[in-house]
Amino acid sequence: MHQTLDRRQLLATAALGGVVGATGLGSLAPEAAFAAEAATIEPGAPDPNFAEGRISKISGSMLLVTGSDTVLHSIRITDGTSIWKLHPTSFDKMAVGDGLYARGVRLPDGTLAADSVWVNIVNLHGHIAAVGRNVLHLDHKGQRIVAHVVPDRSAAVYNGTPAVSDLSLLRVGRHVQVLGAWHPNTNEIDIATVYAAA
Amino acid sequence: MIDLIAALQTLVLGAVLIWSARVKLFSRRAAAAANRSALVRLLGQDRALPAYRLLGGVELTLGGLLLLPPVLRIEAVAATVLAVGFLGYLTYARRAAPASSCGCLSARAAPVSGRSLARAGLLVTAGALAGLATGGWLPALAGRPVAGAAVLLAELAAVVALSPELDSAWLLPLRRLRARLTHPLRGGSGVPLLATVQQLQLSDAYRQVAPLLRSDVREHWDDGEWRFVGHAARYQGRLVTAVFAVPLIDREPDAVRVAVVDDATGHTLLSLAGTPPAAGPRLSVVPA
Repeated sequence: MHQTLDRRQLLATAALGGVVGATGLGSLAPEAAFAAEAATIEPGAPDPNFAEGRISKISGSMLLVTGSDTVLHSIRITDGTSIWKLHPTSFDKMAVGDGLYARGVRLPDGTLAADSVWVNIVNLHGHIAAVGRNVLHLDHKGQRIVAHVVPDRSAAVYNGTPAVSDLSLLRVGRHVQVLGAWHPNTNEIDIATVYAAA
Repeated sequence: MIDLIAALQTLVLGAVLIWSARVKLFSRRAAAAANRSALVRLLGQDRALPAYRLLGGVELTLGGLLLLPPVLRIEAVAATVLAVGFLGYLTYARRAAPASSCGCLSARAAPVSGRSLARAGLLVTAGALAGLATGGWLPALAGRPVAGAAVLLAELAAVVALSPELDSAWLLPLRRLRARLTHPLRGGSGVPLLATVQQLQLSDAYRQVAPLLRSDVREHWDDGEWRFVGHAARYQGRLVTAVFAVPLIDREPDAVRVAVVDDATGHTLLSLAGTPPAAGPRLSVVPA
């Protein structure tokens, strides 16, 4: 905990500490930065740097993931991996049975060294069939989805304006798009962002 | 009492069938409703609409016969057979084409649900009861108007309640009213992370370092008027953290600052503040 605070103090000081500029290490021109992005994908071929599926085993920092096409993926979580599970979180919040999307770099041994992992992420459209205390009942293609509002986490974007935490403008019967985190093996999700007209 | 209920079933069945026929024959959206229904699966795309119209014609004819005298038992038998047919069709639709729409009492899309099946079951029961009737619905209603009206209202209310396609006419307004009275979604406060990220992504600082970023948001924390957002990045082959300072309350993408900090040494390799001069795509660099 103390270490985290020290690190955050260091990072905050760096960010606010005035213009240092590049320290003679080279330019930040876009062409220089993109020069490293040499990986090309053949049209129609699967992106080697992406994996999806459900976690069947966690061993150390390795995830064994079964893809929806039954392909097995080994995914390595590194110190630099971002992990999203409704919000940016840590590796210990991942569990066997969780679904995930991972993006990273495919190593020669076939392992995907993950840069970013999104756990249980869902993106769905539906109509609000009913609202309860901090819950939306969504009609999604005839299926009922129970979407929980998580205080201090859930956000709403109305008419494409900046996100706010006030969800009270959502109306029964209206169409919404919801980004959220699925509760595995249920029809329930936690709402990360709900996009609606207001 | 059972005589009264039985006699009134022809009226209920007739009204429901004519309402249903109205959608199939006269709605401008009948073609769309037919295309969404399981008839497409059952009979093929080309025959779905003619079959839908034909069914409407049968419903209109039978509904009219049921409502008009004379009372013939064969009409009740035909209505029962039709209702059993609906029940079978809906059961088939639910199994074979669960995404299809009922197309029953409204052109509005409504998947076949347990309520639709219950409504078809109710019509089967009504048909069977109508077969027991000994007289027409008009004399029965004239004889006991209050009890008759109560039976009719209860039964029609049951039909409406069991019709998902009619929910928007009564159930959703009720739920809207309840939400307006109880405000179940009130209470959100604070600045969501997404608002910060949206502002961040509009900033010049982000545009400058975006190609270096490797990860999504790894961590974030608030300190005073700032919210700090950290991404893993790679700069000159080193593993670094790009930490952005974003104004927490004010929306000023131009004020967003960024520092690139070496993970191994903790040294700041780069930091940018405010709007750089708008001359060309290159950042003017100043040695530290």
